[in-house]
Amino acid sequence: MAVQADVVYRYDGSFEGFLSCVFESFLRKEIPFAIYPDRAAWPTLFPIRRVPTDPARAARVFDSFEKKLGTRTRDLVTRAFLNDSPDKELTLLRFLHFAYGQGPRAPWMQGHERVAPVLALEKAVNGEAHLLTGFVRFEQRGGALGAVIQPRHFVLPLLRQHFCNRYPGEDFVIWDKTHRAVLAVQAGRAEYLELATDPDLPPPDEEEARFQAMWRAFYDALAIPARYNPNLRRSHCPKRYWACMTELRDRL
Amino acid sequence: MEKLSILADSAKYDVACTSSGVDRGGAPGALGSCHAPGICHTFTADGRCVSLLKVLMTNICAYDCRYCTNRRSEDRPRAAFTPEELAELTIQFYRRNYIEGLFLSSAVLVSPDYTMERMIRVLELLRGPYRFRGYIHAKTIPGADPALVHRMGLLADRLSVNIELPSEASLKLLAPDKQKTGILRPMGLIARTAAENRRELTVYRHAPAFAPAGQSTQMIVGASPESDYQILQLTEGLYQKYSLKRVFFSAYVPVCRDERLPALDTKPPLLREHRLYQADWLLRYYQFSAGEILSPEAPNFDPWLDPKCNWALHHLDQFPVDVERCDYEMLLRVPGIGPKSARRIRTARRHGRLRLEDLRRIGVVLRRARYFIVCSGYAGPGRLSRITVAQALLDPGVFEGGARQLSLFDDPAGRLSAPDHPALPMAAAREEAAAWLSRRM
Repeated sequence: MAVQADVVYRYDGSFEGFLSCVFESFLRKEIPFAIYPDRAAWPTLFPIRRVPTDPARAARVFDSFEKKLGTRTRDLVTRAFLNDSPDKELTLLRFLHFAYGQGPRAPWMQGHERVAPVLALEKAVNGEAHLLTGFVRFEQRGGALGAVIQPRHFVLPLLRQHFCNRYPGEDFVIWDKTHRAVLAVQAGRAEYLELATDPDLPPPDEEEARFQAMWRAFYDALAIPARYNPNLRRSHCPKRYWACMTELRDRL
Repeated sequence: MEKLSILADSAKYDVACTSSGVDRGGAPGALGSCHAPGICHTFTADGRCVSLLKVLMTNICAYDCRYCTNRRSEDRPRAAFTPEELAELTIQFYRRNYIEGLFLSSAVLVSPDYTMERMIRVLELLRGPYRFRGYIHAKTIPGADPALVHRMGLLADRLSVNIELPSEASLKLLAPDKQKTGILRPMGLIARTAAENRRELTVYRHAPAFAPAGQSTQMIVGASPESDYQILQLTEGLYQKYSLKRVFFSAYVPVCRDERLPALDTKPPLLREHRLYQADWLLRYYQFSAGEILSPEAPNFDPWLDPKCNWALHHLDQFPVDVERCDYEMLLRVPGIGPKSARRIRTARRHGRLRLEDLRRIGVVLRRARYFIVCSGYAGPGRLSRITVAQALLDPGVFEGGARQLSLFDDPAGRLSAPDHPALPMAAAREEAAAWLSRRM
């Protein structure tokens, strides 16, 4: 049984780094006070232990997910890790300590206090990815399509699946402003890049501007004044997405 | 561009804008895919989802339906797309991820058959030269040749025939050019062809799919005098007889002055529409039947209570239920438990006890559900009077800021007054509602 330890883990923020933390936690039979990625360097009173990312340890942990906990738990943890909330690591770690005791049935105990928060993490990621499959707006710039998004969670991998499937013949780029990451798809090959500075894009040409204007006109024509209900719109399409949407950008 | 505005404006009163019901992955060399739950791409200022490029082929109409903005006798700007223009526009919008696909409808230009031919031409362009694999919803024109409907079904994902008004008498009065049989016949045809097609598909995997996302319809609520019970009966009949995927309701927004229609300053009956959708959900996902939700004696919805709570209140003898034991159908009937939480309860209870906290984490709304359940460590609410429960179940939506938008039934008998008083504070409104409920019980 793991005991509560007065220590803070720090890791590099990658999934492998997190799995190394899991290994560390099981090795020492302890649950740390918190697990922070390097980029979020919170000041803390507890001693900090830097957990190095060890691919071999990470692989051992990851393989054991499927072997001991089942594919559902493996997918759940992988997906929930994309969530960007500050205490996701600890929530996941607590769940894993619980799950290794329960075996494959753990993710189905949906009301349990260790399980429900992880399901909530996953739900938030899936929900945002689903919204963005609709809210991403591509612009024709040069020969390729480009889009900018500002999601809360790191949903680029999920968007890659969707858009590669949808536009098999197109080259496109999705720039995640929040995480400074770029997904570039060229001739059917996808690539993730990290950006230090904002990329500068060529301005939209005349044809692109025409289609954007048509889309705005279409959008405006659709609303029925007698049913005007801005609260309903905001609850379906929160304002944090508006800045990147062609038809709503100017209404912020 | 002006054309687009005119033809989108003319199509905006069509409700259905869903892209659900088919899963179709992309293919090399083609453009597009479909996602079975549907994807909303934006939301209009009235909070409705925009998923498809919803336009009319043309708004030049040969018919003169009373409730319609595009009727022949109305003076408004007219326009028409050529099939090539519309196909190109769809593709360009689709590439930019503005839309899931096309929702094509049309006013009746020259004749139903001629209009259908032009619409089919658009679909052929999209599916042929453009190799478009996105979603297409096409509206068949009442009175068109069955062979054309068949051709359209092979190209589109979903077909719909608008039933327009909930009874034949209203149809005769308000849409003199349309007949009930002209609407129901193509609906039956589509249902039969789709059923046959499903059999074929089980034998030949590559048989061409006929409207794989099924068919839907819509009707206008509030332009004619039918009761909610009649509308719901009709809806249930449509689901059963024509295996429709969806029936849409649209609160009547007065757009034309006519002595046969409600006055121009009538507010759209949005709460009534909302209740109809709630009941529609009960039919489709909660295994209710229309006769359980409303009856000839109580033919209209309760403005204060949603239909499920209303049912539960009138069947208090069937509660409380033990969530750890009762069957799925009964779980669905507990206020505060929906299909999602019911399914979760069903799996979770195999793996351990469920206490109130567990239920809350599963997503059960205990504020409502606690009057109707027992579980581990909770022996139920004890004896309760119906009125206490009724007060707890009052639909909060009616009282919140949005409440003023829900102009209640525009019933001259004044079945209700409270939510229309802007000055009435919320607590007072609640009290009045409770008093009204207790009088009724």
